Amino acid sequence: MSGGALGTLWRSRGGRCGLVLLALLALAAALVTLMPASDAGGAQWAGASLEHWFGTNRLGQDILARALEGMATAFRVGGLVTLGAVALGAALGALGGWRPHSLPDEVLQWVMGVLDSIPVYLFAAALAFALGGGEAAIIAAMVLSFWTSTARLVRAEVARLRGRDFVLSARAIGLPAPLILGRHLLPNTAHILLVQATLTFVAAIKTEVILSFLGIGAVHGVSWGLMLAESTQDVLAGHFGNFLAASGMLFLLLLGLNLVADALQDAFDLREASR
Amino acid sequence: MKPDSTLTLALAVLILTLLTACSREPGEADTPESKTYVHAMDGAPGSLDPAQASSIYANFLVVNLYDTLFRYRYLARPYELAPNLAAGLPEVSDDGLTFTIALKRGVRFVDDPAFPDGTGREVTAGDVVYSLLRHFDPDSRAQGAWLWQDRIVGLDAWKTAGADYDAPPEGLRALDDHTLQIRLVQPYPQLIHTLAQGYAAVVPREAVEAYGIELGTRSVGSGPFRLVSIDRARAVMARNPGFREEPVSLAAEGYAAARDGDWGLEAIEGRTPPFVDRIEVEFITEDAARWNSFYAGETHFIKAPVAQFERILEDRDPLRLTPELAERFHADAEPESGFVYTAFNMDDPAIGDPEDPGQAARNRALRCAMAKGFDWETRNRQFYGGVGQVFPGVIPPVVPEFDPGMDRSPVVHDPEGARRLLAEHGWTAENLPELTWGYPASVSERQMFEQFRGFMADIGYPPEKLLPRVYATFGDYHRAYSRGELSLVTTGWTMDYPDAENTLQLFFGPNASPGSNVGNFRDPTFDALYREAAPLPPSTERTRLFRAMNRRVIEECAAITGLNRNLLMLWSREVIMRPDRSFIGGYGFRFVDLAAPTAL
Repeated sequence: MSGGALGTLWRSRGGRCGLVLLALLALAAALVTLMPASDAGGAQWAGASLEHWFGTNRLGQDILARALEGMATAFRVGGLVTLGAVALGAALGALGGWRPHSLPDEVLQWVMGVLDSIPVYLFAAALAFALGGGEAAIIAAMVLSFWTSTARLVRAEVARLRGRDFVLSARAIGLPAPLILGRHLLPNTAHILLVQATLTFVAAIKTEVILSFLGIGAVHGVSWGLMLAESTQDVLAGHFGNFLAASGMLFLLLLGLNLVADALQDAFDLREASR
Repeated sequence: MKPDSTLTLALAVLILTLLTACSREPGEADTPESKTYVHAMDGAPGSLDPAQASSIYANFLVVNLYDTLFRYRYLARPYELAPNLAAGLPEVSDDGLTFTIALKRGVRFVDDPAFPDGTGREVTAGDVVYSLLRHFDPDSRAQGAWLWQDRIVGLDAWKTAGADYDAPPEGLRALDDHTLQIRLVQPYPQLIHTLAQGYAAVVPREAVEAYGIELGTRSVGSGPFRLVSIDRARAVMARNPGFREEPVSLAAEGYAAARDGDWGLEAIEGRTPPFVDRIEVEFITEDAARWNSFYAGETHFIKAPVAQFERILEDRDPLRLTPELAERFHADAEPESGFVYTAFNMDDPAIGDPEDPGQAARNRALRCAMAKGFDWETRNRQFYGGVGQVFPGVIPPVVPEFDPGMDRSPVVHDPEGARRLLAEHGWTAENLPELTWGYPASVSERQMFEQFRGFMADIGYPPEKLLPRVYATFGDYHRAYSRGELSLVTTGWTMDYPDAENTLQLFFGPNASPGSNVGNFRDPTFDALYREAAPLPPSTERTRLFRAMNRRVIEECAAITGLNRNLLMLWSREVIMRPDRSFIGGYGFRFVDLAAPTAL
């Protein structure tokens, strides 16, 4: 990201607000990683108090501690999925865009078309289940589901840039294609990758919550999806702590990410406009 | 006619047409004096064919649509068998091997096109033979063969010889139209109980041949009700007008005024069941939806969701509803016909019974320590509303062989003793083995695992050594533990009949996986006692043997056991009934009455 874009992001009230919110949430997630929630419970369904801000759940576990651990899970899963999906999408998109309408590009477009025609949650759930469930499985499933949108955008951008003078010059002096792609073309798609990363992060967190809600997600740790699933029983008994804590934190995290994503898009639009 | 009037008339015709289309089918309409009982059930049957009545939901309906030879007395506790289609209890030969059962005369199947002239014919002993043989017919996809396999002379050979219904086996014969004879390979005291199951319901051959697999959504029986319709949401049954006239004797049904006096049951004395014209069974799997439907007055009965106990009950001992609910509903708690337990997989060298005697002793100590570390009272409070009954061993309180005076130390939470036992046998956090615990994907199952991991952490078992294995469905979980893939198997057992033999067989060596002995417990002492008790009728001697087997399971710490869940049932005050989810089950529908015609 250029310093100008970053400055624009920070100068934007929404972007600044989003960054601060994300930083605070990330700090809370990092702190709770050092003190994971315990299986051992106290009083069942205790009400909100200074000791337990959101009360306790059916097993007597502190709901706030679990919600913060769910935050750590969200950051971990979101981060890994974003890295994987954006990297895979960028690499395959760049390959396709380098030689548009060649056989590899046609195959790539066909694969993306097939994957995009399957409802994303259904596809991710089926893949996660086929891979045996658990956090590693849902991360792999989401990477395999989410790379296509990045690949499409990068492909189009690379196809547009490949006829520019700086690329033609690089080819003229005999630079190999991988070097041109890695050193000259992909860096010029950074604005796309950055925006895609924030959007993928949001999608990954939502999907993780949904898959965990369905029982396919986190096995060892805590997830907001699990907490929301627990809340379906809690609410029947008149207890709302799980629901409020998990949905509230999910809202805050997604709000922060969306504010940053919007600000980033505005920043890059400005850059493009200034050209 | 003005255009406006034409439009109005057209709209009126359309609305009338719509109303007519959406109205009940002819013959279904309630008369002003009709009585409809609406029952909420937390699951739906897979099939109404008695040969596939494998679930409690299917059983509930099947025993109303068809007749069985025997049933359970409506109000008697402990449960007692009573003749149903049979004219009386069977005559049993001195050696206990031959059962002769007389059938009631004049009992008829409902009218159905499956019969040559569309008129139901008389039920005969040949129909009983045919219905039981279906379970051994490879083409029938029946699921009840295990009840009679290796028990009846010639039955298994009949299957391998081609399953010819016209040549029934030697041990299962209709002596005449109204007399059935069953000859056993060895004494089988539970035989009469098996003839009170939905699996043993009597179907006419004509219906099976006419409808085949469609029999799962039809009924051609001789029970107190006939099927009107069934889909994924509900089943509707109407009174069978041809059902035999057998006035109710409350005394014969086991009525006890002190226990049953509050339900208004005196109103059915001397009257001929069934008392309601129509029964609608709503299949509502979601707890919240089922409760809301009941609370709104759309259904008459509900098995209360555990999560609601806190809001429903003002007091649990004795059971008392909140005043607001008590004004509208009756309530009763019933011990479940079974129990929940966690079996150790004895085939797993890490926790089971390896050949090395030293290791076997250490593993036994480990199992016993884990059992001591398990807090049954907390499990009961957090998952069963605190109304379950914790008991030692595997003979639950619902059967007569239960020993109320038994030492309760095996179910006392003793983390200190557990830690001491581990230390005495050289177990440390470092050398404790990794154990796998499986569960089908659900919130409660996961929470139970987390709770177990917490209990074990308290005795020094590192949480990371207890490995969860999550399965998409109970079927997947069942397959996994049937293949011995898990170190610990947490499951519940719903009894088929009220006899402790039905729970003790869960630990009989030859029943090891993929059989019902999911923990693969193979103890020569236990097995010898089981074989000794198997042919005995209920008696003091048999009870002594059963209790000795129970002690073996506890001594060997073969399982963390057990808890008998209590089911809390609520029903509208306008309904006259005593509900039961256990062995009476669907047999109770014929005795249900409403104080007044339907007002739902």
